[in-house]
Amino acid sequence: MTNSTLLTDLIDLNEALQSDSLLDLDERKQRDRRFGLSLQQVRHKPHQQIRRWLRSTNTDHTKGSGRSGSRIYRIVGLVLLVFGLISGWGLASIVLHYDGSQPINIVYALVALVLPQILLLLLWLLGLLPFKLRLFKNIGAMLGLLNPGRLAGQLTSFFNVQGGQGLSAIWNADNAAVLAPVSRWLFSFWSQLFAFSFNIGILIKAFMLVSFSDLAFAWSTTLQFSNAGFHQFLLMLSTPWSAVIPDAVPTAELVANSRYYRLESGSLSANQTSQLAIALGQWWPFLIAAVCCYGLLPRLLTLSISWFRLRQSMQRALCQMPGASELLARMNSPLVSTVAAEPEKTDSSHVHHVAEQTVSKPYALSCPLIVWSQACTDKVQMQAWCQQLGIDVQDYLQAGGRNSIAEDSELLSSLCRTSPDVVVVLVKAWEPPLLEFTDFVQQIRQHCGAKIPIIILLSSAMEKVSDSDRDTWHQALNPLADPNLHIETTGPVA
Amino acid sequence: MSLPQFAIVGHPNKGKSSIVSTLAEDESVHISPLSGTTVENRVYPMTVDGDVLYELIDTPGFQRARAALEWMRQHAESSMDRSDTVRRFVQTHNDDPTFTAECQLLTPILDGAGILYVVDGSRPFGEEYEAEMEILRWSGQPSMALINMIGNSDYTHDWEKALGQFFRIVRVFDVMQADFYKRLQLLTAFGELHEDWRMPLDKAVDILQQEQGRRRQLSAQLIAEMLARMLTHVNSHRLKDGENTELAREKLLEKYQQELVAMEQHCRLEVEQVYQHKNLQRQEPLVELLKQDMFSRQTWVLFGLTRKQLIATGAIGGAAAGSVIDLAVHGTSLLLGSGLGALTGAVSAWLTADKIANVKMLGHTLGGEEISVGPMPNINFPYVALGRAMLHQRIIEERTHANRGPLTIDPQTVSWQMSDSATRRAFEKIFAKLRKQENYNADLTSSLALLIEKQITNNSQVAANSHQD
Repeated sequence: MTNSTLLTDLIDLNEALQSDSLLDLDERKQRDRRFGLSLQQVRHKPHQQIRRWLRSTNTDHTKGSGRSGSRIYRIVGLVLLVFGLISGWGLASIVLHYDGSQPINIVYALVALVLPQILLLLLWLLGLLPFKLRLFKNIGAMLGLLNPGRLAGQLTSFFNVQGGQGLSAIWNADNAAVLAPVSRWLFSFWSQLFAFSFNIGILIKAFMLVSFSDLAFAWSTTLQFSNAGFHQFLLMLSTPWSAVIPDAVPTAELVANSRYYRLESGSLSANQTSQLAIALGQWWPFLIAAVCCYGLLPRLLTLSISWFRLRQSMQRALCQMPGASELLARMNSPLVSTVAAEPEKTDSSHVHHVAEQTVSKPYALSCPLIVWSQACTDKVQMQAWCQQLGIDVQDYLQAGGRNSIAEDSELLSSLCRTSPDVVVVLVKAWEPPLLEFTDFVQQIRQHCGAKIPIIILLSSAMEKVSDSDRDTWHQALNPLADPNLHIETTGPVA
Repeated sequence: MSLPQFAIVGHPNKGKSSIVSTLAEDESVHISPLSGTTVENRVYPMTVDGDVLYELIDTPGFQRARAALEWMRQHAESSMDRSDTVRRFVQTHNDDPTFTAECQLLTPILDGAGILYVVDGSRPFGEEYEAEMEILRWSGQPSMALINMIGNSDYTHDWEKALGQFFRIVRVFDVMQADFYKRLQLLTAFGELHEDWRMPLDKAVDILQQEQGRRRQLSAQLIAEMLARMLTHVNSHRLKDGENTELAREKLLEKYQQELVAMEQHCRLEVEQVYQHKNLQRQEPLVELLKQDMFSRQTWVLFGLTRKQLIATGAIGGAAAGSVIDLAVHGTSLLLGSGLGALTGAVSAWLTADKIANVKMLGHTLGGEEISVGPMPNINFPYVALGRAMLHQRIIEERTHANRGPLTIDPQTVSWQMSDSATRRAFEKIFAKLRKQENYNADLTSSLALLIEKQITNNSQVAANSHQD
């Protein structure tokens, strides 16, 4: 698994989670838990869970931004690699230029090839310091200008057609809280890649020069340095490799023999030219070792650190992206469901428009009052309600409730034998009519005929009958399609 | 051990479906004032990774209880035979449209389901209920009566007296006000109906409590992600030649505000889905930005560099190029190459910056004037957004699924306070980091989520305590 594929996943995840959040949560919960259960072997590796989830949904959600982002990542890396090689090669060509007239000053070569690298390495370390202090913050900003990785990042984000997409999603401000460490280590990786290849460029050129031409090194300085003092300094520099490559440690004799002054052209013995050339050429192992030890190896180390930290920060960011924690929770938590297993079947057949009233009040009628299921026990109250409608109550009859069906039937046959003007049934408005009640209404029709008006009088104890209760009764009785069935409501009685 | 099943039965329109909707957290349950809306039994299993712990069964209401009871009385040979008589009734009338509702609701009871008989305690007891209660008693199954409070009047006392004659356990359960803990109490009470059901129901309660914890955790995470995005959000616009800066600035601010509102709305929807509320009609004032708190910066940029940075980069580049010359002449130039290179680089960057900025490449100008808004500078904004989000979460958590009214959120009516000063400082520390766009690390949002979760838990604890008081 390479950082490139991790980066692909990180960019794709950003898009996948955004589009996934538009799906119904139940759907996501079921899908992700099912997937999570199949990933029990990586339960404790959340980034792997997320990446596998991404693989399974990749084709649905992403637009290939991850692939294009990682392609840019690789291209930038390659460009920096080549650029570093060329720069190193170029610098080595200049520093190690030897036309036989003057030997290459080893001090000068060290200063050009090794010293700046040590300084830049220190700057890189400084860049790792926390930016809590303003000084470090300013240093960090300044270093950003020198950082080839950061400049490459700015260029790639500029040429990205869709702002905030692809690779530039990594340093998009909206993702900063999560992705800032990724962009930091990405820039660091690029810059270390440049520096590493720069050293490789130097070494390749140096090896080529050593292999295909003769180089003569010497040392020269205006400073008051004795041969012994300079030798001690070189021994100190050579300490890291002296035990491993003793040939790359300059001897005191070599140091003494290779000092020269430009004013004294004879200081390097002219009559021993060939031996001297061989002797002065012995400096190259030291120079190569110095570049390797103070340039290449530290850069290899910082490149590795940057690579690992980039990888680590991408793995962490995968689990910290907006929506990722929720995804992990869905995968790793038991799927608890309490909702219905099947969609509901409802009967909407009796939902109709409320029928128009066919008879207007007052009715000016006289009849017995059927009290359904003890809708009211107060005769004075019932009398008052009926009088409001112009109905004179002759008698109070009980139906429903504790009565048997046979008793109800008997009540209706005896009532209809008296040929009443109207049948009034007092009901509880808050109890919607059951089929038992509609059976009773149909029984009234059977016993008293189709023409007799039936008034269903809705009562509501002490309150006014609510509109919703009235509508419910209308809707429930409308399917009877009875033009002589009227629904009235009782009002408050003074 | 038999699977605990509970048939929710009763008179039509007494809140059976509302109780099921609340206990099952299912807003797909059709709730209608018309009787007979529920025409078939509907099963609401509580499952954990597919394993069923218990089932609630919503049933149609009794429609012809008197007639059914009369049939049973006529066909019962002795009081020992009552349960079998009920079974014979169902077998006999299974295809009879007259008793469809009765057969539907009695079938799960005869198969072993416990009975949860629902009545409306805000309406007076009536004798028409007696037939259905008698039928349920005849079934011989463990039963419990639930007094639901649909209206404002209170006839609980009368109901308790009447129900006590038919049911061993009678409980009041206000379906619209039942918070999570009341729902758990009810489930625990279901376990009292049968010894075998206690353990699975205790397990179910335990799992639901864990699930509640996860929901709070998820909500906190969603709110934290929203806040982090809101605080770090930056919107920028490259000014075109001759474009009215003020107009562009206004448009940019408006777009910025709309984007913040969209972030908040997205978070609301997600939190609602966490609590299984999917079709809420939210009534909430939109988050407001005080325009005087917002400012748009105008900067000249090229490749993301400001003019100063560009000149510094030019100088460094020039110095680097010059140093190559110094090296080539073995330092005999006395570093003049580097010095002159730096000067040349800086001056040429300064002189040519505008020209380069106007160069078009791949359809883009390389640089120019840019205005940008964000990150949010107002120090109160995150607290306002957090307070609104936590209020919404609390309302959603307390809202039952039987409540089909609009969700009204009025942030003005609720004051929100941090539980302690240490928490306040912890919040401020994270907000400051987000605001200043520095010291980001991947755990920042997680830390924020943990703080929010702590607040949510504290607030619900306070609410639970006040309910108990």
